Amino acid sequence: MEDVLIKVNHISKSFRIAKQKQGIINAVKQMIKPNYILKKAVDDINFTIKEGEMVGFLGPNGSGKSTTVKMLSGILHPDQGSIEVGDFIPYRDRKKYVSQIGVVFGQKSQLAWDLPVLESFDLLKHIYRIEEKKYQDNLERFVTLLDMKDFLLQPVRQLSLGQRMRADIAASLLHSPKIVFFDEPTIGVDVVGKEKIREFIVELNKTDRITMLFTTHDMQDIEKTCDKAIIIDHGTMIYDGTLASIKERFGNTKQIEVTMDQHQEIVTIENVSIENVSQQGDFKYRFSYEKNKISLDWLMKEILSTYSVKDFSIIEPGIESIIRKIYEGQVMI
Amino acid sequence: MKDAIAMFYQYSRVTMKSWFQYRVDALLRSLAVFLREATGIISIILVFTKFDVSGINNWNINELVFLYSFLFSTYGVLIIFFTGLLDFGKTVQDGTFDRFLLRPRGVLFQIIASDADWFAAIGHGTLGIVLFSYATSKIEVIWNLGNILYLASAFVGAILIQGAMFLFFASLSFYFVKASNVHGVLFWNLRNIAGYPLSIFPKILQYMLMYVAPFAFVNYFPAQFLLRNDDIVNYPDIYLYLTPILGIVMYFCAYCFWRVAMKRYKSTGN
Repeated sequence: MEDVLIKVNHISKSFRIAKQKQGIINAVKQMIKPNYILKKAVDDINFTIKEGEMVGFLGPNGSGKSTTVKMLSGILHPDQGSIEVGDFIPYRDRKKYVSQIGVVFGQKSQLAWDLPVLESFDLLKHIYRIEEKKYQDNLERFVTLLDMKDFLLQPVRQLSLGQRMRADIAASLLHSPKIVFFDEPTIGVDVVGKEKIREFIVELNKTDRITMLFTTHDMQDIEKTCDKAIIIDHGTMIYDGTLASIKERFGNTKQIEVTMDQHQEIVTIENVSIENVSQQGDFKYRFSYEKNKISLDWLMKEILSTYSVKDFSIIEPGIESIIRKIYEGQVMI
Repeated sequence: MKDAIAMFYQYSRVTMKSWFQYRVDALLRSLAVFLREATGIISIILVFTKFDVSGINNWNINELVFLYSFLFSTYGVLIIFFTGLLDFGKTVQDGTFDRFLLRPRGVLFQIIASDADWFAAIGHGTLGIVLFSYATSKIEVIWNLGNILYLASAFVGAILIQGAMFLFFASLSFYFVKASNVHGVLFWNLRNIAGYPLSIFPKILQYMLMYVAPFAFVNYFPAQFLLRNDDIVNYPDIYLYLTPILGIVMYFCAYCFWRVAMKRYKSTGN
């Protein structure tokens, strides 16, 4: 049995938002007597993360992901409930706690804009009081793993987004934190860059057993790195479990994509939805079915006997399409 | 303490290096600040000499320059320690403040140390020293130990008074999205008129300069301690000695307010 490291106990968090109607009279009214509405950003979220686990934290924009990460990293207090991380209460023992964690905000760099990457690293060495030996070891290792040798001496403002992100990730890890929170670490990075970042994160989790929490919009990030996922929407938690079991439970819908050699009349089949995905010059249709209602060989026979088929392929449902359905409320959990 | 100074040095080293990425700009900055601030004084001197004004409320031009020199010399130090609080609303809104919270150092210390503006400090400080030396060479000040000690403590007090105002206005950023306007009106506008003897203003402005944004204790009363011009009879004697104490008290209060405001930020977000 692995040890539970992060214990989140029914936390809630609300924000006051100024509610303002249009028009100058209302603007003046607002100034004199502000009118607020209370928005629940996080509502009774409850989960645990074990030491060394890598957890994906999913949810659409404004679902409360960032607020939760801010509470976990001690920036904000929860209104209700409590958080324990190891022996710490994040929002209480700030200075001691933050030297044990690393936080990467994909949207906001912590590097000095005008200076070479190495200068920012050096400053962090002093801020975190990192021993010279440990600093050099970490630096050398991250430079190799993240392929940073070429741009270590370039000013941050000249870096590509992917390079900057890699430098930012390294910056958050120099002090060998035990826990790392990633808030959208691959946002805006190209495919190759994303791949590099993911590989690095997986490697680090494996060798150093760093516990990680990962928020992202990119389902591939999660699929390729995490074994567990927590999904929240409108501030409430709608799923907490392994990725494999999401697929198992909600990956019921399968699809066959059929290319026909000419235009043909489409006949409806019961329990199968057919979507025209033809592009210029070809005739492509997508047949979606529930695998517990219809068997594949029956459907294939049906299709092959009705149409003259040039090509076909079977599409496995990705986590992405499953998650999308969960957000859209098509799948209930 | 030693650790804090070493860290302050590290931060300043990085700030300096950032500035020196744009070499000419960095060098011109001190000069530009110096000239910008000096033009204000020069125009006053011109008015005095060209129009044969003998004095304002019995203050001659040298004494006025003396009064001004307090503003600049204290600001020269102030800007090393409190630049980070100047545009603090932005720091809160763009998330930089969150980053400070994530580092194992004092939050206020990081804000102060990461933004020390040495170049502007050189500009303001040099002007302050030039004006002070000029004025004291023309007016008679008795340099005994008591006066020197008083001046040194009033200098620190004056920096703390202004620092407290910076800290107070910065704390407001946790409550209001745009608190920099308050800072503008109460700090800059009143500072602009604080170069003149307090007694020339209408009562309401005098009260503001003594009790709201107490610039009178930054320069008028410390200068009067040494000059004893006639208009001092309008004010209680004790005011001549208050600057150092007021500085400590105001800074302490502002710091308490800062702690409360920061706690509120952590519990409400922004």
